[in-house]
Amino acid sequence: METTEKYHFDVVRWFSVAAVIYLVVGTLVGVLIASQLAWPVLNFDIPYLTFGRLRPLHTNAVIFAFGGCVLMATAFYSVQRTCGVKLWSNKLAWFTFWGWNLIIVSAVITLPLGLTSGKEYAELEWPIDIAIAVVWVAYTVNFVMTIANRKSSHIYVSNWFFLGMMIMITYLHVVNSLAIPVGMFKSYSIFSGVQDAMIQWWWGHNAVGFYLTAGFLGIMYYFVPKQANRPMFSYRLSVIHFWALTFGYVWLGAHHLQYTALPDWTGSLGAAISIAMIIPSWGGAINGMMTLSGAWDKLRTDYVLRFLIASLAFYAMSTFEGPIMSIKTVNALSHYTDWTVGHVHSGALGWVGMVAAGALYHMVMKLWNTEMYSSKLINTHFWLATVGTVIYIVALWISGIMQGLMWRDYDDFGTLTYTFAESVAAMHPYYAMRAVGGFLYMLGGVVMLYNVVMTIRQASTHPSTSAEPARA
Amino acid sequence: MTSLQEYFHTDWAALTSNDWVGLVMTVVVFFLMIAIYVYALHPSNREKLEAQRFIPLDEDRLDTEGRK
Repeated sequence: METTEKYHFDVVRWFSVAAVIYLVVGTLVGVLIASQLAWPVLNFDIPYLTFGRLRPLHTNAVIFAFGGCVLMATAFYSVQRTCGVKLWSNKLAWFTFWGWNLIIVSAVITLPLGLTSGKEYAELEWPIDIAIAVVWVAYTVNFVMTIANRKSSHIYVSNWFFLGMMIMITYLHVVNSLAIPVGMFKSYSIFSGVQDAMIQWWWGHNAVGFYLTAGFLGIMYYFVPKQANRPMFSYRLSVIHFWALTFGYVWLGAHHLQYTALPDWTGSLGAAISIAMIIPSWGGAINGMMTLSGAWDKLRTDYVLRFLIASLAFYAMSTFEGPIMSIKTVNALSHYTDWTVGHVHSGALGWVGMVAAGALYHMVMKLWNTEMYSSKLINTHFWLATVGTVIYIVALWISGIMQGLMWRDYDDFGTLTYTFAESVAAMHPYYAMRAVGGFLYMLGGVVMLYNVVMTIRQASTHPSTSAEPARA
Repeated sequence: MTSLQEYFHTDWAALTSNDWVGLVMTVVVFFLMIAIYVYALHPSNREKLEAQRFIPLDEDRLDTEGRK
């Protein structure tokens, strides 16, 4: 099959299907751990299923399994189409696919066993960290060499965003994972104390900035114009968006460490640059949305486009909320509360999950040269995802702000008004509400998986003649 | 010494090698950013840059024309 295709799309098909499966699996684990917070009996007294072990499994599944497969599928898809050439190495692309999935399987085994480095969003132990670096570099080299072989003179902006992500994540992952192994599954970071904390959040915030933002902006800059069948609003704005984001994001990590042993000025600097980042972030969101200028009616009928444009609204919202939360005065209330978790999920569910869904639906139709099995189910998925996200973030806004206020409240004698346990008990209705929001989002993923499977079956049994050819 | 001078007072002698590397990189990146903004927003570059908007919609032409 590969030899008859103009592009190497088989590996993209596999990455796309894997991404949809991981969306369901990752959110399923998320719903379970959200439910455990509301109803602790769901820990079942089984160590492998406790919140502490499943929480990193959830984050790894949604960020690296789902997000990673989406980024690899979309980067390999769009780089071929914008450069007019096949992937530099199909074998290396398959190595990336199997290697990445092997890493995911390793995470599924080791994290419930409690094997962890203890670094947030980088919990996997050193042998797996080395495997991640090798597979990620293979992905990057293949992407770079495909661009090097391109037919066009210009490198389209989506490829710049993907490339920025690849280079920065290589650098961030390697430095943050530097550790001294003391056994096959145990290592200790070479950093210690406040330096360790700073490296951790330099990685942590840039994983958000480059993996979950720059990479998914690469998706936005290719798939929004494609799905809308209109050129993007402003190319110059996209250039400024890219460079401002690349130069700016690396400064932000310190805002995670306000009021800690980290020097005060570093947190203030992180907050100041965070505020400045509203400008390029909103510039990018407006650039994506204004692509529809003069054709807003498309949103009535094109459910895939709805996903892409709604994701930009969530992107704009969370890139405003984040900088506000980084300001020291707000941070004093919000830090360590559920508000932070709600903020992360407004970006993850609303921005990352929805732009990914839009891109995946677009690619499935092109890659299998057919219409979707059911456009109504795409709309169902859209509303489940939107309502689920809104319920989730509203619940955690309320619970987070309530937590912050309860923790800081004291009486005339200077004694804390509430015990910590009282604040936990007050969270119960909001934790239940959060679990419902997450469940709706997961249900949307199940609908998507069903729709994609039926579309692929339909394509193999009744190839469509009405769909726009995938030119594959 | 005014309060402003006091606020911006820097003990240059106390800067370590790491501090100097960071300082130089920051200043260089700052000027690079200005250069990029000037390049992207300069009216003479408008047509050239905005022409690239059509790349995703123009894939077939890109396939057939070879290197532009």
